[in-house]
Amino acid sequence: MRVAIAEDSVLLREGVARLLGEAGLDVVAQCGNADDLLVEVRNDRVDVAIVDIRLPPTHNDEGLRAALEIRADHPAVGVLVLSQYVELGLAMKLLANSAEGVGYLLKDRIGDLDEFVGAVQRVAAGGSALDPIIVSTLLSRQRSEDPLDELTPREREVLTLMAEGRSNQGIADKLVITLRAVEKYVSTIFGKLGLPSTGSDSRRVLAVLLYLRS
Amino acid sequence: MAASGLASIADAGAARGPPTVPIRWALVLLGLAAAATSFTLALLSEDVSATLGEPLLIAGLTAWVTLSYVVCGLVAWWRRPANRFGPLLIVAGFVNFLSTLSWSSRDVLHTLGQALDLLPPVIFLHVFLAFPDGRLKGRFVRSFIAAAYVVAIALELVRMSAGDYGPHNLLHLYSNARVEDVAWKVQLLTVSACCLAGVAVLGVRGRRAGRPLRRSVALLVDAFGLALMLIAFLFISAVFGGPAVAQIRWAAFIALALAPTVFLIGLLQARLARSALGELFLELRLDLSPSDLRDALARTLRDPSLELAYWLPEYKTYADVDGRALTLRELAQGRATTLIDRNGKHVAALVHDPSLQDEPELLDAATAAAGIAVENGRLQAELKARLVELRGSRARVIDAGQKERQRLERNLHDGAQQRLIALSLELSLLAQRVAADPDARKRVIQAREEIAISLEELRDVARGIHPAVLSGHGLEVALESMAARAPVPVRLLVDLDGRLHERLEVAAYYVVSESLANIAKHARASSASVNVTRSNGQVLVEIVDDGIGGADTEAGSGLRGLADRVESLGGRLRVWTPQGGGTRVKAEIPCG
Repeated sequence: MRVAIAEDSVLLREGVARLLGEAGLDVVAQCGNADDLLVEVRNDRVDVAIVDIRLPPTHNDEGLRAALEIRADHPAVGVLVLSQYVELGLAMKLLANSAEGVGYLLKDRIGDLDEFVGAVQRVAAGGSALDPIIVSTLLSRQRSEDPLDELTPREREVLTLMAEGRSNQGIADKLVITLRAVEKYVSTIFGKLGLPSTGSDSRRVLAVLLYLRS
Repeated sequence: MAASGLASIADAGAARGPPTVPIRWALVLLGLAAAATSFTLALLSEDVSATLGEPLLIAGLTAWVTLSYVVCGLVAWWRRPANRFGPLLIVAGFVNFLSTLSWSSRDVLHTLGQALDLLPPVIFLHVFLAFPDGRLKGRFVRSFIAAAYVVAIALELVRMSAGDYGPHNLLHLYSNARVEDVAWKVQLLTVSACCLAGVAVLGVRGRRAGRPLRRSVALLVDAFGLALMLIAFLFISAVFGGPAVAQIRWAAFIALALAPTVFLIGLLQARLARSALGELFLELRLDLSPSDLRDALARTLRDPSLELAYWLPEYKTYADVDGRALTLRELAQGRATTLIDRNGKHVAALVHDPSLQDEPELLDAATAAAGIAVENGRLQAELKARLVELRGSRARVIDAGQKERQRLERNLHDGAQQRLIALSLELSLLAQRVAADPDARKRVIQAREEIAISLEELRDVARGIHPAVLSGHGLEVALESMAARAPVPVRLLVDLDGRLHERLEVAAYYVVSESLANIAKHARASSASVNVTRSNGQVLVEIVDDGIGGADTEAGSGLRGLADRVESLGGRLRVWTPQGGGTRVKAEIPCG
């Protein structure tokens, strides 16, 4: 699995490259700005791009624009956006049409090696990785008549992990329960929220997100 | 008698007051006596009937010229006592009379009159060039008038000493026809040249005269020019043996005779301007606004281009009625400036057409009348200037604060936060290495968790300092997160066509965040809506909740600080918060 990293802090860039390398991923490019990354992607050398949202020269939205461009022009390439803040508005922009092959994580998550490597792999494989803060913001959002109130605490946990982009197996591993139990929770949740059950994990993410946001 | 009359005029003129009643009567009687004397002398003189013919007409015209100059001069002096023009006219009248004494058969009178024979054209020239304030302006004008006086009298004396002026000429010393002839020619040609120079000067002045100069003055210039040119023509024609055109002599006579009447019209016009001053007084009682004051002054002084610049001593600059700084030098290009002082302090400057300087009394009177209003206007201009400055400095303070916050956030982001993240990553890798030593691993992981907490706290601090998402991604994205975190359901509608100026985004952001914070703290609302739209060149930010209303808009600095932000951008913040009726906060900020 070929990874490209765009991050202007050398310290962090090299740290990430090292940890991914140790996890057995192939870091093919380390870029200091968005343009270099786009060159790598266009030359078809990359399966997944890890992009800092603030990149030179202005440190405003160069990283986000690069991510959106890759999503639009190279749908086969996974994009994992890292930031020191996660913003719901940006998550919605990134996931505008689909949650396929896209991730948006707080930079802090890098420190949790297994989780982080798992997220990179998920995104590279066409899945999603959404930061728990986004999901919890959406879940805690006030609603007038809230069907979420009908969910049991366990069901809420499953919903959260689902929204983060995890597969049923991932959820089962995380909660240390059986796959069958997860499947049962998922169908109950979809029933309670009135959502049609959908196919892939990433479609499930988008459906849940749109439901939570409305 | 005549000499004492002239002396008293000179004295009174020097006093610069109006003529007293006895002086007025004395001058009228003197004028009448002089006119009557001229009239009689012209009728009785053989010289007149022999050389000029029409003695009755000559007598009448001579008497009329003397009397009209004296009377018009008297009126001018009486009405405009500070002006020297009136006394000058009176002197001209009496000089005309004295020159007619040459028709007398008494030796002394004849000699005196003959000596002054050529003085009337010169003093008329003087009068014309001294209109309207009685002063001769410019060294050139003063010197050729002086030359004309000297030549007119000195060469006349030379001629009288060398020539034959009949038995009554007391100055006759010897007979030399050649000397007499040369003196005569030089004298006439010099006076003609001076008259033509005078016509040229009047022409140049007429061209320079600005718009407000009264049209009658242009008429006067034409009339003067005609009379002076006729005199010059007559003299030159006489010297070169040209035709002695009787009609031209009559025309010159009549033009000279009518001139004082034309002056009177000119004076009447000035009187009209004075009655406009009366209107100014009336308008001033109505408590004029500064811009109306300028208009009123422009009307009174008949100068629509007039500008009023207030002096702001604190800023050491002039300013217009709105307190905007003006540079007088630019304003006064090709224009005249009159300074207005009040109680010894400079308060303002009038920038006006240069031709108004011909009426200094009118200017003085108008500026004196407008004194209080001008001072009032100056204070208002100063106030506005302070407001402009205050608004500017408030905007600068807020901008500077904002920049500083952005810089701090950036420093945190690129510095401490980045390093902590790298450190946390480093610790994770270390934890893997020491996996064999459970205790060490546990402690490393603990340290990493501490870092995670620090990062979270730091993030909150940084966000509080400056919402980076705002500068990075705009108002809509920033508000989306804010609305999602709000403690009540928020319906958010952002309808902006692209990004706004950063100052505007920051102001709008804080209006929404402060309002949502207030809703969380005080409103007990069940829902709220946030609308951000752009229309008619301004951004409208409106936050409405369905809470209990009755918010205290004075307590706390929140709303006040918001108003500061909004007003520093030239906008307006309004709050409606009826008891039990929810609260509506509305900010309108111009985009420009």
